[in-house]
Amino acid sequence: MFKKINLRSRTALVTGAGKGLGKACAIALAEAGAKVIIISRTLSDLTKVEKIIKKTKGSCLKFECDVTDLNKFKSILKKIKRLDILVNNAGTNRPEHFTKVKKKNMEYLVELNMKAAFNVAQLCTKKMVELKNRKKAGGSIINMSSQLGRVGAPLRSVYNMTKFGVEGLTRGMALELGKYNIRVNSVCPTFVETPMVKAFFKNKKFKQQMLDNIPLGRAAQENDVSTAVAFLAADSSNSITGTSLMVDGGWTAK
Amino acid sequence: MAKFLKDINLKGKIAVVTGATKGIGRSTAIAMHQVGASIIAFGRNKNDLNSLKKKLKIRIKCIECDVNDYKKISKIIKNLNRIDILVNNAGTNLPEPFLKVKKSSLETLLDVNTKAAFNVAKLCTDKMLKLKIRKKIGGAIINTSSMFGLVAGPNRTVYSMTKFGIEGLTKGMAVDLAKYNIRVNSVCPTFVETPRAKKYLSNKAFKKYALSNIPLGRIATESDIATAITFLSSDASSMITGSSLIIDGGWTAK
Repeated sequence: MFKKINLRSRTALVTGAGKGLGKACAIALAEAGAKVIIISRTLSDLTKVEKIIKKTKGSCLKFECDVTDLNKFKSILKKIKRLDILVNNAGTNRPEHFTKVKKKNMEYLVELNMKAAFNVAQLCTKKMVELKNRKKAGGSIINMSSQLGRVGAPLRSVYNMTKFGVEGLTRGMALELGKYNIRVNSVCPTFVETPMVKAFFKNKKFKQQMLDNIPLGRAAQENDVSTAVAFLAADSSNSITGTSLMVDGGWTAK
Repeated sequence: MAKFLKDINLKGKIAVVTGATKGIGRSTAIAMHQVGASIIAFGRNKNDLNSLKKKLKIRIKCIECDVNDYKKISKIIKNLNRIDILVNNAGTNLPEPFLKVKKSSLETLLDVNTKAAFNVAKLCTDKMLKLKIRKKIGGAIINTSSMFGLVAGPNRTVYSMTKFGIEGLTKGMAVDLAKYNIRVNSVCPTFVETPRAKKYLSNKAFKKYALSNIPLGRIATESDIATAITFLSSDASSMITGSSLIIDGGWTAK
């Protein structure tokens, strides 16, 4: 009756896999038995992740690539045989007050969090449907969204815009890819103790405001998010598509 | 030991499951038992309870009672030793067009789906808080909601009213109980192959309506829902509270 999180014989691609949530997801998927293809701009980060995965006898392929470089990403997909799972994770944040958002920051966030996310998803889907028995085997795409894909927050108008966008993309893709048995979901974490967020936490006022907003009274850990991603990647979540798994300690329940 | 993939494990946990005689409740009791939980099954039908007891053999206690009988459930729950998890599942549906809803149907659904759900949740929470180390070990409550807790469907005004109510209850409880480290979530299934839904689905027009609204093109299985509830009841979801896990094949993504 209970379906274990098992990804044996599945191949998963993770973008932004060098650090933080992407790294955690790549390792979690490998721990569940998947072959993992890790992508990041920084080769030295990938090498570290590869080491961790290989230590636990997981299988891993690494490619240095900026996901905004569409041609390079395409060439990577040509090198791989098969793809069952995508963790569409690469993204960033540049917090600024709405009235002071710099044009180049807005454009960069749109470029990476939306345009690249869309392109990566489209190219990977094409790769996934190349498999003749895709409909039988199924596939899963997890877009890394955020609780700020559901609610607003100070200094995050652009991030909000891009992550609400990812929520829309998730639902649209889910509708169109249902017929191939490719499920598409997002995860919406609250603040997670990643290197990116730890930098924000140095501001004590920020940290207190954050904790005041999380009913459970703690920030999320990387493995809270990576476990949710693995659940959505596996057949454990066989009938779940077009949804957002909120990993936010109750932030958006208020 | 896996670092980024948390185990879904309920060893040493005691779980109350209401409406455990058939369908989602029964399957969830079995799934949670599979990963180590001790089950306290509530149900009205003695034969069904006996069948569950026979199947699980150990770590199972069956209690014959109607969740509407406040005095009785109050006494029973007070006399239990300990509860860590509640699957607040007992519920029913009496589909009727809005203009023809019988007063008795309205009252039945409000009694079972709303009032009894509230009462069971409150009584079980009281018991959960009796444990001194609750904050340290956490607790989980999963309310069985429905995709009709999020959107409407024909002939389901009363059902939707009660299930939207459950969504509200879930969020309110999550906010109030977070300080005790008790997480509260709901699951929102589409039509599931349960004995009750099978009756509806034997009508061809109804089945067509259901399938044409589910992008994945299939009805959910009891195992899909049982697995999701088991995930939400375990520490694998320790940052998830106040949210709804939608298991609807994409129905509400449209």
